[in-house]
Amino acid sequence: MKFTQRLVFAGACAAFACMAGSAVADEATPNTVRLGLYFVSFHPSAPDLSGPYTPPGLNLSMNSVTTPYAAYLRDITPHFTIELAGGVPPNTEAVARGPATLGSVPYNGQLIAKVKWFSPSLLFEYNFCDPSAALRPYVGVGVNYTSFYNREVSAAGEAIVGGPTSVSLSHSMGPAATAGVAYKLPHHFQVMASYSYAQIKSDFVANTSGIVRSTSVNFHPSTWVVGAGYSF
Amino acid sequence: MRIGIVLGHAVLAAFVLSSCGSDSTGSSVSSSSTPGTLLENPPARLASLSATDFGAALSATGSGAQLLSLASAGTGQLKCGVDFYLYHYATTGGAGESIKSSGALMVPTGGSACTGARNIVLYAHGTAMTSGYNLANIADPTNEAYSEAALNAAMYTAGQGYIVVAPNYAGYKDSTLSYHPYLNGGQNGQEMVDALTAARAAISGGNLFTTVSDSGKLFVTGYSEGGYVAMAAQRALQAKGMTVTAGVHMSGPYALEAFGDAILSGNVNIGSTVFVPLATTSYQKAYGDMYTATSDIYESAYASGIDTLLPTGIPYGTLTAGAPGSNLLFSTGKLPELALFSSTTPSVSDMTALGVPSANATQLAALLSVPANPLSASGFGSSNLLKNIVRIQYALDAFNPANMDGLIAGTGVGLAPAPAYPLRKHLAANDQRALWGSTAPTAPMLLCGGHNDPTVFYSVNTSGMMAYWGVAGLAGGAGKPIQSIDVDPSSSSIAGGIATQVATAVAGTYMADLAASATPAKLAADVGATVIGLYPSHFSITASGATPIDAQGVLIGAIAAAAEQVAVGDYTAATQVTSPTQVGTDITTAVVGVYHGDLVPPACTVAAVQYFSNF
Repeated sequence: MKFTQRLVFAGACAAFACMAGSAVADEATPNTVRLGLYFVSFHPSAPDLSGPYTPPGLNLSMNSVTTPYAAYLRDITPHFTIELAGGVPPNTEAVARGPATLGSVPYNGQLIAKVKWFSPSLLFEYNFCDPSAALRPYVGVGVNYTSFYNREVSAAGEAIVGGPTSVSLSHSMGPAATAGVAYKLPHHFQVMASYSYAQIKSDFVANTSGIVRSTSVNFHPSTWVVGAGYSF
Repeated sequence: MRIGIVLGHAVLAAFVLSSCGSDSTGSSVSSSSTPGTLLENPPARLASLSATDFGAALSATGSGAQLLSLASAGTGQLKCGVDFYLYHYATTGGAGESIKSSGALMVPTGGSACTGARNIVLYAHGTAMTSGYNLANIADPTNEAYSEAALNAAMYTAGQGYIVVAPNYAGYKDSTLSYHPYLNGGQNGQEMVDALTAARAAISGGNLFTTVSDSGKLFVTGYSEGGYVAMAAQRALQAKGMTVTAGVHMSGPYALEAFGDAILSGNVNIGSTVFVPLATTSYQKAYGDMYTATSDIYESAYASGIDTLLPTGIPYGTLTAGAPGSNLLFSTGKLPELALFSSTTPSVSDMTALGVPSANATQLAALLSVPANPLSASGFGSSNLLKNIVRIQYALDAFNPANMDGLIAGTGVGLAPAPAYPLRKHLAANDQRALWGSTAPTAPMLLCGGHNDPTVFYSVNTSGMMAYWGVAGLAGGAGKPIQSIDVDPSSSSIAGGIATQVATAVAGTYMADLAASATPAKLAADVGATVIGLYPSHFSITASGATPIDAQGVLIGAIAAAAEQVAVGDYTAATQVTSPTQVGTDITTAVVGVYHGDLVPPACTVAAVQYFSNF
């Protein structure tokens, strides 16, 4: 289902999902910290790699990652919350997509590179239902910043590009959006689940002994989170 | 506001990290301009082909399949795979410029016959028209270097397990020199030394080259311009005390003064309209005295821009994208295809006007008239490249009886006593007889060529050098350190050479098959059999076909393939050719046209591989 449809669906459910709750009034506990797990899958789109000595049809895919989620939320009003969310920087893997071999060097399916992501998002969220309700769906929009580090080309990757290679990925700043639901438990605890999307784009440049190859990647990550929180 | 406060929160500090963490390092890069410096270590590998995959790639074309057969000794299975690297080195230009150039390293891969200590072949390539010429780019069959790269990679690296070091030369791929120091013997030899030094640094650098090492044996070889360059390289290596195990120099313009004398007098060679601008620019850069303006020596139709025309930045695929044999440089009027000289040759009055005594003028006018033989005559036309004044002034220098080249006069082997006309003076200074002087080559040498070569004349260059070294006792007999091999088995007394001999025989076969309404396949087989049947002693002929048993057989086999293609083309043309004269002309034209570029190289490379295997 497309993300916009998911948002509408969440909003529609919210209209029917509000219940009275027995939770403690939120004004006294405007802060929440959450821990959970991100489940990220990428749907990267990029033009084929371009540069000298680069045949057409060379592209990449990215393996899904799972990484711990942590967030700090601050209620501003009974319905509006700011969330600063981030994950333990995951090690994402780029896998070659294209012809089976280049010359005699295996290509398709080879793990080419690993890179760590630092990718916090800042979101403004609207929480449906009464603050005292136990189950509160929410939607949010905000901004994501992503920078890439510990970029590592694998031995298979070096064999493909022809030698030791330095890689750069430009950092990304883009819109982010989320929709989720939080369920209050006794003693200020909660559990939550959400679906998020962020626009993460980066210019990728690889330099192999002076041969420079590049592409622009749109990572299109779609992210599920499951977590628990504590308000204070 | 709120965002700022939140972003400024100390919590964020925990997430901040340096924007450059550790990442894979590239190769080490040097900006040193010391000649011979390897500029990236390790160099980039452009392609890696296993023995099987390289063989499959070659099999895709007819000429590639023939090459595979030669390189695999007929088995079809190459011994080694090949890794192709593009490397960059610092060197010096033709006027002392500090520059960079690039080259190819072809490294064997595979089993025990392909790893460990490897012999090195230092290869010098032939005349290239395009500045993108790149022997490392085996993945691009439209690159001008492709067939030369495939030939050397197959025969030496895949076939013998040798490492091939093959520079692209100053002025070509990734070079910072804006021109190519063509036939500049000092620069050419020194650049090959620099290229070898840098290549050895890459091989022993330990980075990617963990499976091969330098055995210490060095073979030096090259074709056409490369034959000249390789001989100059052998000279430069010897002068530096660097070991050369053996050299094979193929179809090169070694005796430059004599070759120039022959051409300028009217014996025009095929390709002259490309060679002359390259040489003129090279010598203008090195010596500065070839002309004040290009229009001094070039006809006005071509003078403007001729000094930057070659090598051209136009990609070879684009240059030759038109009809087979076409070239944009010719079709867009930048260069004449064949006409080096005006068909209105210098007259007696042209020369007496310059102060030449009329008796001499009459002699010279006759000497410089359009020759009778059609091959030389094709070098004359109305839209010619060089002005008559060049011919006149050159001839006054070259055919002054007191100032003749011994090889041209037939009186000896030495250079002219005092060449003064700039072009002749510089050809003489770069003549291999001047580069070597009385120094004897300390490594054994084989000079290879075909005696019917219309592009680089065998008699004046190869036979000339053999005669030169023969006087010193170094050549001219079994056991001498300098040997020669003529891969053309035809008798030199055949009028019109081997091309005419083949054309006459094939025309007969063609007419017989035409009368019998044979299939094109049968015609091809019959033509092949006819050509091979002219020189059967160079083949092993069995029921399954004819296999060359020596270098001459390889040449004849290549001629057979060319003749088959022409015959079938004529037979299956929209308007079928039915005239034996026409067939004969087509065959002759084709054989002459590809003799130097396509027929002799595989034959001489087979001879070279055989020669090197003795060391």
